[in-house]
Parts: sequence; C-alpha cells; structure tokens
Amino acid sequence: MTQAELDKEREIIERSRKDPRAFGELYEKYFDRIYNFIYRQTDDEELAGDLCSQTFINALNHLSAYEYRGVPFSAWLYRIARNEINKHYRKNKRKNVFSIEEMKVKELIERSDEQWDEELVQKLINFMKDLPTDMLQVLELRFFEDKDFKEIAFILEITESGAKMRTYRALDKLRKNFNIKVRYDESK
Amino acid sequence: MTASGADRFRNYNDVLIRHERDMRVKKIMRAFIMFMVILILVGLIFFLWRIEQGDVPFQKKQPPEKASVTHSSAYSPGSPSTL
Repeated sequence: MTQAELDKEREIIERSRKDPRAFGELYEKYFDRIYNFIYRQTDDEELAGDLCSQTFINALNHLSAYEYRGVPFSAWLYRIARNEINKHYRKNKRKNVFSIEEMKVKELIERSDEQWDEELVQKLINFMKDLPTDMLQVLELRFFEDKDFKEIAFILEITESGAKMRTYRALDKLRKNFNIKVRYDESK
Repeated sequence: MTASGADRFRNYNDVLIRHERDMRVKKIMRAFIMFMVILILVGLIFFLWRIEQGDVPFQKKQPPEKASVTHSSAYSPGSPSTL
C-alpha cells in the first residue's frame, strides 16, 4: 500500500469520526475482503454476512479509539473480524471451521517450484485440514490474503517474530510432507 | 468465488442504522449510569447528614434495663407492711 493511499485512508477516517456516512467509502473498499476472510473461517454465507456487518458496525462504533500503528486500516478490520469469529465460536461452543479453496491452494503451489496436479491439490487440502488453527490462520493471512508479517502480528495479536515462527513451522510441515518449497519474500 | 453471495449482505445503510442505534443505547446507558451514581451520592450525603443531626435511623440495641433489687433484713411475716 502506497503512502498516498494510507494518507487518503487516514483522511477518510478523520472525516468518518465527524460524519459516519464518510465511512461508506472504506466499507465498499474492504467489504469483499472481510467477507471472504470470515467466510473461509465459517463456511456459511448467512453467518459470514452477519459477522461481516457486525465487524463494520464495531469498527464504526470504536472509530474514535482507532489510532494508526504502522499498519493499514484493513489490518484493524481483520482484527475485529477475527475477534467476531472467535466470539461466535466461543458462544456456540463449536470448533473452528476452515474452508480451503482449491484455487487458493493452487496459488500456493504456484509459488513453489513444483508442478501441480489435481491429486497433489487434494492431498494438500487434506493435509491442511489437520493443521492446527494457529498455523492455518497464519498461512491464510500470509498466502491467501497477502499480508506482511507486521500486519499478521497485528491481526493475530502476537509478535512479529511469533508470526514468522508460525509461518516457518507451517511451511516446514509442508516441505516435510510434500517436498514443496514455497517461495516468499521474507523481507515483506 | 466466495464473494458470490457477498453482495446480498452489502448494505451500508443497514450498518449506519445499527451504528446509530448502538450509539443511542450507549448514550442512554451512560445517562442511566450517571443518574445512578448521582442518586447513590445524594443518598450517601443525606444519610451522613442525618447521622450528624443525631437522628440515626438505626442505633445500637441497648440491653434491657434490670430492676434493682434491694435486700431488706428487717422483713418479717408479721410486720404491718404485709397486712
């Protein structure tokens, strides 16, 4: 995200504090991304719609408390969304669900040097189903949402080194089980 | 792919309405809490004032007074006082 984009967002946030209607611009910009993020962790369109609306309502309700901490505004929305998802699972005493899209897995393999086939994709999906939630979360944010480690740390409320460690462990598991080396820019 | 159903839920007006309702509830709750705090403070001040005036609503229970019994050695059944 460029500095100009960040400045524009901050200007919209300032305006939204006085007039909540101005927040509509950010709502339109991030709605799909937040909806997809929630949908992947609920696998239920209705529920994802409800939680997504609640995420934006919470963001609007607490906009006065928002302060820039070196990460884009979207990271704050992802964090609220994640809290809403966790709250939902706690309330309903259900186990977290992760919906892994075939397309996203193919994208992940395309980052590696390997050639993919349907069998490999299916095996990888089955393998990912058995990964712990914290590893799946970090993989999702890193490779499906294209977040950098600073943003992942902010969203998951962990340290940046913690986020890196989780990613390395998850990729290490992939490498050991499938001999897949995923390329990614460490400095990002 | 997953966003196909997203448009059904995209409704910023609804978000705004719910935000305004939340803000109203927040304001009412804040006013109610303020009212309760003021009520408790006024009650406390009134109670302390009554204590200062000596009109304490509840006092320490005193033990029942006992009648003083005197022993008289001059008593005899035939004395005039028994008649």
